[in-house]
Amino acid sequence: MTSGVDAARVSHTPKRSGAGGSIGTWTRRGVLSALGAGAAGVVLLGPRRAQDAPADRIVIDYWEKWTGEEGRAMQRVVDRFNQSQARIFVRYFAISDIDRKASIAIAGGTPPDIVGLWNYNVPAYAASGAIEPLDEMFGTAGGGVGLRLEDYAPAVREMMRYQGGTWALVNTCGSIGLYYNRRLFRDAGLDPEAPPRTISELDAIAEKLTVVEPGGRLQRAGFLHTEPGWWTWFWGRYFGGNLYDAMNDRATAGAAGNLEAYRWVTGYPRKYGTKNLVGMQAGLGNYSSAQNAFLAGRVAMVLQGPWLANVIGQYAPELDYAVGAPPVADGLYVRDEPIAMLDSDVLMMPRGCRHRAEALEFMAYTQRQEIVEELSTVHCKNSPLVRTSERFIAGHPNRYVKVHGELAASPRAFIFPRTASWSMFRDEMEAGFHRMWRLEDSPESVLAGVDARMQMAIDASRARRERREAGAEA
Amino acid sequence: MSQLGPQIARPMDRASGRAPAEVGREVAVWRGLLWVAPWLVGFVGFLAAPVAMSLYYSLTDYNLLQPPAYVGLSNYREMFRDAVFWKAVGNTVIYAGMSIPLCTAAALVIAALLNRPVKGVSIYRAAIFLPTLVPAVASAMVWLWLYNGDLGLINSVLRPALAPFGLTPPNWIGLRGSGDKLWAMPALVFMSVWGVGQSVVIYLAAMRDVPRALYEAASLDGMGPVARFWHVTLPGISPVILFNVITSIIASSQVFGAPYIMTQGGPDRATYVYSMYLYDAAFVYITDLGMGYASAMAWVQLVVIVGLTALTLILSRSIVYYRAA
Repeated sequence: MTSGVDAARVSHTPKRSGAGGSIGTWTRRGVLSALGAGAAGVVLLGPRRAQDAPADRIVIDYWEKWTGEEGRAMQRVVDRFNQSQARIFVRYFAISDIDRKASIAIAGGTPPDIVGLWNYNVPAYAASGAIEPLDEMFGTAGGGVGLRLEDYAPAVREMMRYQGGTWALVNTCGSIGLYYNRRLFRDAGLDPEAPPRTISELDAIAEKLTVVEPGGRLQRAGFLHTEPGWWTWFWGRYFGGNLYDAMNDRATAGAAGNLEAYRWVTGYPRKYGTKNLVGMQAGLGNYSSAQNAFLAGRVAMVLQGPWLANVIGQYAPELDYAVGAPPVADGLYVRDEPIAMLDSDVLMMPRGCRHRAEALEFMAYTQRQEIVEELSTVHCKNSPLVRTSERFIAGHPNRYVKVHGELAASPRAFIFPRTASWSMFRDEMEAGFHRMWRLEDSPESVLAGVDARMQMAIDASRARRERREAGAEA
Repeated sequence: MSQLGPQIARPMDRASGRAPAEVGREVAVWRGLLWVAPWLVGFVGFLAAPVAMSLYYSLTDYNLLQPPAYVGLSNYREMFRDAVFWKAVGNTVIYAGMSIPLCTAAALVIAALLNRPVKGVSIYRAAIFLPTLVPAVASAMVWLWLYNGDLGLINSVLRPALAPFGLTPPNWIGLRGSGDKLWAMPALVFMSVWGVGQSVVIYLAAMRDVPRALYEAASLDGMGPVARFWHVTLPGISPVILFNVITSIIASSQVFGAPYIMTQGGPDRATYVYSMYLYDAAFVYITDLGMGYASAMAWVQLVVIVGLTALTLILSRSIVYYRAA
């Protein structure tokens, strides 16, 4: 690489060390060797296709958030599908931060064929045109695969739909019930077969179960709204409130039911002292650990999903607990129509999916009762389907899965508000909740503030959508 | 290309009709460009082009999932009306305002102590530097436990110490939003001091460079260790302090990892810093704010950082001492 003049100069340069030629030559050789080694490393150890797919099959990529045992369960389903026919090959990829990566992949025009997200993503993705409608999967006309909406619980159907269209399939779901510690009930002289049905009963029972130390510090809480604190937004639903009016696209956080709910919530810090409640929270352990507040007996009743049984089975198998319907405002109690939240994982088809028909075929396969039940068992969730087999109920790790199924099937089961602005709504409610919980702000003021900000966001979002639609038409 | 040596009259290059020296220079230029090509490609492809695109996106309504639509300065106007934006700005200012002086002071003091002839000083230096090698997530997890209100080491020490005065230690970070709003941000700031090892090493090197003669003269004038540090060491290393302060301004204005992992911006957005809001705008509030809004935020952030850097350089003129070369 050196010119003749350079070479002459190099050859006359005194050697600085005894090893291997002049500095210039050595450096060049070293650089080239390093580059060669790097290239060889990339070739030998660099990125490559994650799974080898048969050349004669149509390959579809499926991104999912599950890892560990949940991911392995899905991989088994994928493997069985791949073995069941010779036309399609599904590649399963466990992806972290999947919602961010999915949106980037869709924007970049290289999405997977199927993506597994959460049900609250459906409105935002559908409103943005990021996913394909799945209406054709229902019925057999027009290449449909014969799924029937009526096979799903009413609240599950709602999760699959947005503004009149079907955008997602639910593969696992969980309803939120009241888990209570039967031993603590007995110790407090309460009937362990009679969990609270109404908010008044909950308050009365919680008071009996709460243990306060002389200084005001809580040794045990009968009930704590912040344990585990995942759904700080949903209390209004148990009082007949709703945060969002989908019909009129209005934020309704300040509705009467919500106000009543958060007045009830703030009654706890008023009664026990903010400092004592917050102080107790600070000392509670992680959810998936033996120090989980419910497992450790620090909180006697919690609102939780069926997956809690997995944590109990792992860390406190001897725990004597039972599950009931969440308590509701006194006037709202109807024995056979519990009010319970439903959460779920969903399958969606990104815009730009390369093998639509094949992806639909695999998605339909995952909706078979035996597949749904297999996944739900491993994930410790109830089935999203109306019909469940005896085998599923008997073999489920949560012995109260039937209760969760009934909660999910209730006509008053509810889901995340169906607005594309839900992520912002949730975060506004979260921040506001903690201000109320610390008695720094009143429910009236917080909820009015949430309404104002969210309505602004919803209106701006709608205006943008309309502007785009007008632009597209033009 | 002086290596080519003295230019002696040579025959013309047959193909190009130019002097060999000229051809050689051109070849050398192309060869040089070839060697820097990987960097150039990286710079243009992964920095210059995205930066230019982000400027364009900041003038658009763009949520990643739909094509950008030009909206002029709308994102910038919206930003200045956004209460959460100002909350994030305020939190970042608080963080930077506490973290920069504290870290600078701590690094200077530690460097001064390590600069003394103490037995086993290399072990201390390694110990101070070690935390900078720990991945951010790992150190955040460790600090979460240290700050645990009930079981954490810090409160285990503070509780008995404060008890005689009728005081209890704060909940610091807390789980499930149980952190202390007043103390959550200071907790993150204290944690940032743990990573001053890098600055310490730089200060230490600078201190070694201060002429011994100045210390000897100061000692002869009757100065004690503190006076020598104040009147000799600090002026002697002032350019390095300035460098560290500027890099700290840039880093703390973009703080993200620790609050994202440890507090998720809570409790009640008490630790919700600018970069977190920028990230959420781009990837979480996709239909409400989106990448256009996030790009506008990024440009405001850049302008503020450049402005602060310039201001620091101007203000430092009278207090930074540059020795003659």
